Amino acid sequence: MAGGAQRRKRGRKALAAIVFAVLGRGLVACVRLDERVRADVRGWPEGTVVTLRIAPTGPQVSWRSADGALRYLGGRDVASDLLVTFKSVDGALPVLLGIKPVLRSFAEHRAVVRGDLTLAMSLVRCLHIVEGYLFPDLMTRRILPHPATRRASHATAYVFCLFRTASLDGGTA
Amino acid sequence: MIPDYYEFCNSAKVVSGKGAIENLGFELAALGASRPLVLTNAQLLELKIATIVIDALADTDAEVVAVYDDVPVDSSVAVVNDVARVFSEKGADAIVAVGGGSVLDTAKGAAIVLTHGGDLMDHRGAESLMGRRAVAFIAVPTTAGTGSEVTSAAVIKDTERHVKMGFTALSLLPDVAVLDGRMTVKLPPRLTASTAMDALTHAVESFSCVQANPLSDCYARAAIGLVREHLPEVLDHPKAHAPRLALANAALLAGVAFSNAMVGIVHAMGHAAGGVAGVPHGDAMAILLPHGMVFNLPVAGDRYGELLLDLAGAEVYASTPADERAAAAIDAVRAMTRMLHERAGLPLTLCEAGVLPEQVPDIARAALDDGALSMNPRQPTYEELVEILKAAL
Repeated sequence: MAGGAQRRKRGRKALAAIVFAVLGRGLVACVRLDERVRADVRGWPEGTVVTLRIAPTGPQVSWRSADGALRYLGGRDVASDLLVTFKSVDGALPVLLGIKPVLRSFAEHRAVVRGDLTLAMSLVRCLHIVEGYLFPDLMTRRILPHPATRRASHATAYVFCLFRTASLDGGTA
Repeated sequence: MIPDYYEFCNSAKVVSGKGAIENLGFELAALGASRPLVLTNAQLLELKIATIVIDALADTDAEVVAVYDDVPVDSSVAVVNDVARVFSEKGADAIVAVGGGSVLDTAKGAAIVLTHGGDLMDHRGAESLMGRRAVAFIAVPTTAGTGSEVTSAAVIKDTERHVKMGFTALSLLPDVAVLDGRMTVKLPPRLTASTAMDALTHAVESFSCVQANPLSDCYARAAIGLVREHLPEVLDHPKAHAPRLALANAALLAGVAFSNAMVGIVHAMGHAAGGVAGVPHGDAMAILLPHGMVFNLPVAGDRYGELLLDLAGAEVYASTPADERAAAAIDAVRAMTRMLHERAGLPLTLCEAGVLPEQVPDIARAALDDGALSMNPRQPTYEELVEILKAAL
């Protein structure tokens, strides 16, 4: 039983890591595609590192602001200015899979924040917009505070996600 | 309806009533402390309010190692770091904070620095501080509004960026909250009304926010009932201790409620109006509460309807049709603010509070970035915030 539970937990963490990878690229793509995300990110101090993480050992995803854009830092360990930590993978997955609203997870204390809460609010706004690109309207109607509006199609966003941010992996760009 | 999931914590011991201050020595000893630093401000010393506490401690085994009375109206990072320095230099082992929200939040900030080291700015965040606090902490509020004596939150100003920073962590909860009618009896009517509206807003918002839970609801409703019953009485008899103590309890109850269920759009706009236009917090709450309730009405109407019982009493509740109770609850709040305007000079509009129409966009933008907004039952757009603020002008 214990072994099975461990395997299931590893599976959930692997799933979270995949979603983090998509979300990581998705946010970078949205800075390019959507002026609302761009405006928020431009307000972040230059070099700000933002991380979403699952306690206690990950996975995680990080971004660094640079020249009004974002660099995708992947899942490596970095010193973060804003660290959002989900207390468990079980608390994180409903949010990452678009089942539960981001703000609901905070209301339920599923995640804690270290850093500037103003920046955290900006990040949440950006994540709402990214969810509007990554998830179908059927899902976003339940998880977003307002109906999703997009400046580009889902397909364009996924193309940007998968191909236009690849060179930034690992923060090399 | 029970939420799918909720958390609630209220670990502070409450010592309330006649002679409560005189038990401070015992409470310190119970915490294993004997060398308190008394944190207050010069005005409270001048008014001989803080001296009630210092005199009471002089008659105990505790030795007051320092009285730090340099806390400004808006607590700041620099002051917090300085308090921590004095605490260490004097070899203190407890903080007894005597004051309003600014003093109590300064004490919380100092406790963070003393426990976790470094600079206060390194520890910003929500629920991210781990471990137990390293210093004993007793809070003696001298206003009946913030409820900071029982909250796990602190607001401290970053004087370089001119923004107020939020900290939330269970380790910020004081060990003991001491309520004594003598502490608030000298509050002028204007400040009494303003701080009471802060408490009322804590209660109303915590009851209608998305973190509301069965336990926080009980505290919120009790707080509202006490404000409704005793605020007019305090304005009639400002020197009477009993109604003052009741208002202090209302603020404490509302503090427990919002510490566990958060606040919402009214506080987000109020923080922003304070930062941009210098509107005193309680005044902002009084002005903005009915407007915030109107905005939330489509999603929180049922909750407001329940609150009519506490806001207006059983007779009004019973005689109001169920589908009209939410609107009647908002009317009851408006009636209270009008009463406070007439009797205590509380402003009814943002203009009266000194806000210029051209400041509205900046206030709306700042409100969007305020953490309190995240728990509001209805998320506003920037344009909606502008409309609400214009309506409050």
